[in-house]
Amino acid sequence: MHYTFKIEQGNFTDAGQASSSVKRTMKQLGVRPENIKRTVVALFEAEINAVAHAYGGQIDVDIDGEKIVMVVADKGPGIPNIDLAMQEGYSTASPQVREMGYGAGMGLPNIKKNTDDLKIDTTVGVGTTVTMTVYLNN
Amino acid sequence: MAQEPSFFHAIKIDTDACTGCTSCMSACPTEAIRIRNGKAVIYENRCVDCGECYNDCPVGAIKVAQDDFHLLDNYEYKVALVPAVFIGQFDDTYKTKEIYACLKMLGFTHIYEVEHSVEFLTQLYKNYMAEHPEIKTFISPYCPAVIRLIQVRFPSLVDNIIKLKSPLDAAAQIIFRKLRDIGAPEDKIGIFYVTPCAAKIASAKSPVSMQNTRINGVINMDFLYNKVKLMLKQHKCKDAEPINHSLTDKSVLWPLTGGESANFNDSVYAIDGLYNALDFLENLEDEKIDAPGLIEMRICDQSCVGGILTVQNRFVAKRRLEDRAKLLARIRRGDDHAKVDYSDQESQDLAKLMQIPDIKPRSLFKLDDNLVTALEMAEKIKDTEAKLPSINCCACGAPSCSALAEDIIRGEACLENCIFAHKDIDELYEKMEDIWGKVVKL
Ligand SMILES: Nc1ncnc2c1ncn2[C@@H]1O[C@H](COP(=O)(O)OP(=O)(O)OP(=O)(O)O)[C@@H](O)[C@H]1O
Ligand code: SF4
Ligand code: SF4
Ligand SMILES: [Mg+2]
Repeated sequence: MHYTFKIEQGNFTDAGQASSSVKRTMKQLGVRPENIKRTVVALFEAEINAVAHAYGGQIDVDIDGEKIVMVVADKGPGIPNIDLAMQEGYSTASPQVREMGYGAGMGLPNIKKNTDDLKIDTTVGVGTTVTMTVYLNN
Repeated sequence: MAQEPSFFHAIKIDTDACTGCTSCMSACPTEAIRIRNGKAVIYENRCVDCGECYNDCPVGAIKVAQDDFHLLDNYEYKVALVPAVFIGQFDDTYKTKEIYACLKMLGFTHIYEVEHSVEFLTQLYKNYMAEHPEIKTFISPYCPAVIRLIQVRFPSLVDNIIKLKSPLDAAAQIIFRKLRDIGAPEDKIGIFYVTPCAAKIASAKSPVSMQNTRINGVINMDFLYNKVKLMLKQHKCKDAEPINHSLTDKSVLWPLTGGESANFNDSVYAIDGLYNALDFLENLEDEKIDAPGLIEMRICDQSCVGGILTVQNRFVAKRRLEDRAKLLARIRRGDDHAKVDYSDQESQDLAKLMQIPDIKPRSLFKLDDNLVTALEMAEKIKDTEAKLPSINCCACGAPSCSALAEDIIRGEACLENCIFAHKDIDELYEKMEDIWGKVVKL
């Protein structure tokens, strides 16, 4: 099963629709609640990052009988130092983003914690693609 | 839908009265209602007996099943298990003792107020919370509609429910043992609960989560109210004996919003009303709210004084309960012996009986137990939904386009139920007659 969602830069209000749809499907599949929770948290954080730090992009979700793979791809500034970005508390969030209550530097570490596999492909000045995998019934 | 033993339901549709107007279908929080042949039908495994459809039906076609009053004749010890809300139904002119005297004239031999159990239970709930430090948010087992709603719509929250009996089940157990201890033969004890709502009937009768109930029958509050009201008007019970006020002020307030949580020192949340409950549970499940402590949650607005089988305006009933509590607070100051005391042995025995087995999730969303099958179905539902117009017009006899899509894939409806699926007008009318019975062409 495949889903596609568009992400708009700076649109914090609509962010969360992708994770709600995914949540609904996972409930239909009878996925264990803690795995639903992990998936929803990770997808939401990645979506918010694309809204907050980049210029929009696209989410692709694929679910098969074993796992859910979520690809959040954006056009944006990219991440110059991934190791630094992965550290808890590191953030370059703009004042506008902070006004929305984001920018604690907890998103990426949270994604790491909640997924079974995390891959970040990024090119400075071009964009970032975050690929997250959660196994459904491990 | 996952097949597990089904719930007992008290909510029924009177098909003669039903006009198929869709009011109930749109109101139901679990999308349990469809229109077939011009009449509402309920998917039993989705209904949580919340009573929302009963409130919204304009022609009174939703009925609440109750036991035959003559069931009392089968017993020698005929106990009326009365919630404090019952007294709240009456005008102040009628005293508590007169109301209870009428119940005796109607054939009850004993009257026992449900809230007698709450002091004992409060302590057990506190112990339970202390024994489960791994649980952050506890949900009270008080309102059976809330428990069922969690089972079907928020299955990930079932472990947050305190796995102990509700005051109603506890009270039935206590009075049963009291009578047995004074020599009543077990099969001669008949305990009849006077219910303010359908949910409590369903839970009293359902073996699913509440094993070994001691309730033998259920009498609807509106029905009993009418009987008693008539007797009161005829002044049949003017000279009633005074009753022993053994309830405490705090116990009387328990069925009102905030009355339960007031007994706990933890952080508490007192939530009433279906939409408040849905909103809170949704956010709790998504971890959007952090709620350490105890959640007191009741489906009805203003809690049990707002039950669908109550007669009195809920705010008036509430005021009478509050006045009674004030009175009891004064009495208690003078006489502290009124408190119910159990021996240590009795307390221990009772505490054991208050355990309930696991409450199982019964997700209404889950399409199949097999993940691969469920995935195939979910995919087809998504594709079907994409074809439908998303206007939720209800003409197909389902509450929303997404509900129709799901019904189609579950094999309970077909795409032609949607009015937009037709090119031929005669075929369309034919299909609409399947759903709506006779359809008049304009
Ligand atoms: N999609 C992205 N494009 C560009 N930079 C990003 C992207 N995602 C993360 N970053 C960079 O990594 C940093 C850390 O991200 P992280 O999600 O951990 O924290 P945050 O978004 O700043 O704050 P929080 O997620 O706690 O609200 C960001 O501040 C930003 O510099
Ligand atoms: S009682 Fe509640 S859950 Fe059951 S059909 Fe009526 S509205 Fe739906
Ligand atoms: S709030 Fe009280 S009256 Fe209403 S459904 Fe729950 S238990 Fe019944
Ligand atoms: Mg972030």
